[in-house]
Amino acid sequence: MTLKRYLETPEVGKNFEKRKAGFSGTDQGWLSDIRARAMDKFMAAGLPGPKVEEWKYTNLGFLARFLANENFKILKTGPDAAETKRLFDRAYMGNIAGSVVVFVNGYFNPALSSCPDEDGVKFSIFSENPEAFRQSLAEPKQATSLNNLNRAMVTDGYYLEISAQTTMPQPIQIIHLATSGSDGQSLHTRAKISLAAGAKAKVIESFMGPDGPQYWTHMISDVDAAEKAEFCYFQFQLQGKQAIHMTEMHSTLLEKAKFTHMNLQLGAEVSRSEIMNSLSGEYAEIDLRGAYFGRVKQSQDIFTRINHDKPHCQSNQLFRGVLDAGGKSAFQGKVIVARDAQKTNADQSNKNLLLSRKAEANAKPELLIYADDVKCSHGATVGELDRDQLFYLRSRGLDEAAAKELLVEAFVAEVFSDMPGGGDTVVLQQRFIEKTRGWLSKEVSS
Amino acid sequence: MLEIKNLRVTVGGKEILKGLNLTINDGEVHAIMGPNGAGKSTLSYAICGKDGYEVIEGSVLYNGKDLLSMDPNERAGEGLFLGFQYPVEIPGVSNMNFLRTALNSQRRYQGAPEVKAVDFLKLIRAKAKELDVDPEMLKRDVNVGFSGGEKKRNEMVQMAVLDPSMAILDETDSGLDIDALRIVADGINRLRGQDKSILLITHYQRLLDYVVPDFVHVLADGRIVKTGTKDLALQLEAKGYAGLGIAENAA
Ligand SMILES: Nc1ncnc2c1ncn2[C@@H]1O[C@H](COP(=O)(O)OP(=O)(O)O)[C@@H](O)[C@H]1O
Ligand SMILES: [Mg+2]
Repeated sequence: MTLKRYLETPEVGKNFEKRKAGFSGTDQGWLSDIRARAMDKFMAAGLPGPKVEEWKYTNLGFLARFLANENFKILKTGPDAAETKRLFDRAYMGNIAGSVVVFVNGYFNPALSSCPDEDGVKFSIFSENPEAFRQSLAEPKQATSLNNLNRAMVTDGYYLEISAQTTMPQPIQIIHLATSGSDGQSLHTRAKISLAAGAKAKVIESFMGPDGPQYWTHMISDVDAAEKAEFCYFQFQLQGKQAIHMTEMHSTLLEKAKFTHMNLQLGAEVSRSEIMNSLSGEYAEIDLRGAYFGRVKQSQDIFTRINHDKPHCQSNQLFRGVLDAGGKSAFQGKVIVARDAQKTNADQSNKNLLLSRKAEANAKPELLIYADDVKCSHGATVGELDRDQLFYLRSRGLDEAAAKELLVEAFVAEVFSDMPGGGDTVVLQQRFIEKTRGWLSKEVSS
Repeated sequence: MLEIKNLRVTVGGKEILKGLNLTINDGEVHAIMGPNGAGKSTLSYAICGKDGYEVIEGSVLYNGKDLLSMDPNERAGEGLFLGFQYPVEIPGVSNMNFLRTALNSQRRYQGAPEVKAVDFLKLIRAKAKELDVDPEMLKRDVNVGFSGGEKKRNEMVQMAVLDPSMAILDETDSGLDIDALRIVADGINRLRGQDKSILLITHYQRLLDYVVPDFVHVLADGRIVKTGTKDLALQLEAKGYAGLGIAENAA
């Protein structure tokens, strides 16, 4: 077998033709044009193969196979309501006030949603108002082949726009559910989040689905934070065991803007979370943190990039991975400090804990510095549980599973211990801990 | 009652304990002294079940039960406590959370109900006060950033809260100034007052001024080579191991 730079997926073109009539916004000529052109680009390029550096740890052969077998059907009936409600109840954090926006199998679900409706906040749904997405679809922040595929096939999405000096009093929960009916489906969603100068907002996005179906969640989000804007984002990835989960978030920060991104990856068979950021104004700050967990056939990838384009910016990255037997992960984090980005402060830390000899963690931190007056650090480690710590705990009466649980929790605690941002922080921290425990208690390998 | 018979233990393939015999009856305090590297810590680890301390011969019975077939946490549940020579730092785990989990694990093992959060708080505050430990320290991560003396006192807080029937204290006195030594000794004597058994491993006889042992043993080259009373510790202090015909660094 030869490794190709790109994988061809001729079936995708046929599927596109089949799906076309069912897309949102078929009456919009400009949109059909964008879809068709994006599709042509995707077909010309194909999926990136393992020889493409960015994809060396995630072999997209499985995705090509998934797409070849995609049994897309235009669903005549909606998803099963009872199942949807069950999933919703698990994903929704009722103890956090604020609006909630629900997508089911890639489409907006008005029945379960209560969209934001506040002064200074504009909120649009793609399937209801494609026009709002025109600019972001016409001029995407990135034009990779996967991005083109998403533009061509986009099912639904949301656009959040906050006016200058407006603080959203409460966070928005965005919930993406996949039901059993999602088997073999690609769910291509998009988001655009735009904060004008001095605006503040918090978005909590959860992804959840059952273990049975194999579906592909493919979500692309663009974030623009103008001068002094503050954006806080949480992702809880709780997908079903066979799901393919891919999210890309592209952020651009102007002067003194702040972006906090917290990321918890627990589910899916294959997951890749891309967080691509440009610090395009002085004194902008970015804080990326995450924890990922993998076992039995699970693969968790975190892919970050931070472009320090302007002086006096600060970036902080803190990621912790826990891998048990059969689990695999890759952290690829790149920081690029441009020539005139003096006084840059960039910190990157990735630590991985292997609970089994049959687990694998890859770490590839990269630092490209073209300025000379900067403070940059990065560290990546892969290790096992400390035997002395384990014995200390066990000598005090904790059984092996409890001792491991405590140590694993401690290992990831740094990610959410001093979590920034507002009154619901404790609830979100609790959510992180609770979900982490749930993962651990299912089977801490011995 | 702890009964150790002909205990042989290897560490990394090397025999450290070479047929050790020791019996500690309920309510007795025994002290073990011996040169560096004699195998004192090895003995404590073997009794408590640390991985890598392989028992190749002999038996250890506690109240008639075979300790060697038990997991370390089961041994703790049976009432055993090890005060570590070098208490381990555990970043990310608070003392409080750790100790409550430990206490409740032991109580579950013993078939007793778990301790309620409020009762636990009262208990730990009282014990910290007895041992002159700042309650704020208990909120911090286990032993992280503690001085040597604070770590040892923290071991004593744990012992007081867990209330074992048999405590093995491995050089709990080293690194303590005279005031701290007195506080720790008081803690040990409180346990002793309840008729619990204690095995003190120490280098210096000064602890034994405060906690007067019923028996003193000298451990050298993997065996108990001499047994006596407190006088033996005084003799050792005066003459050294060589003066009593015991080779230093025998191991
Ligand atoms: N983990 C280990 N691996 C190899 N040798 C060890 C280990 N731990 C202890 N030893 C050896 O075992 C012997 C006894 O050590 P130890 O029980 O710590 O002595 P003591 O506590 O009496 O000073 C020493 O020679 C020491 O080097
Ligand atoms: Mg020792």
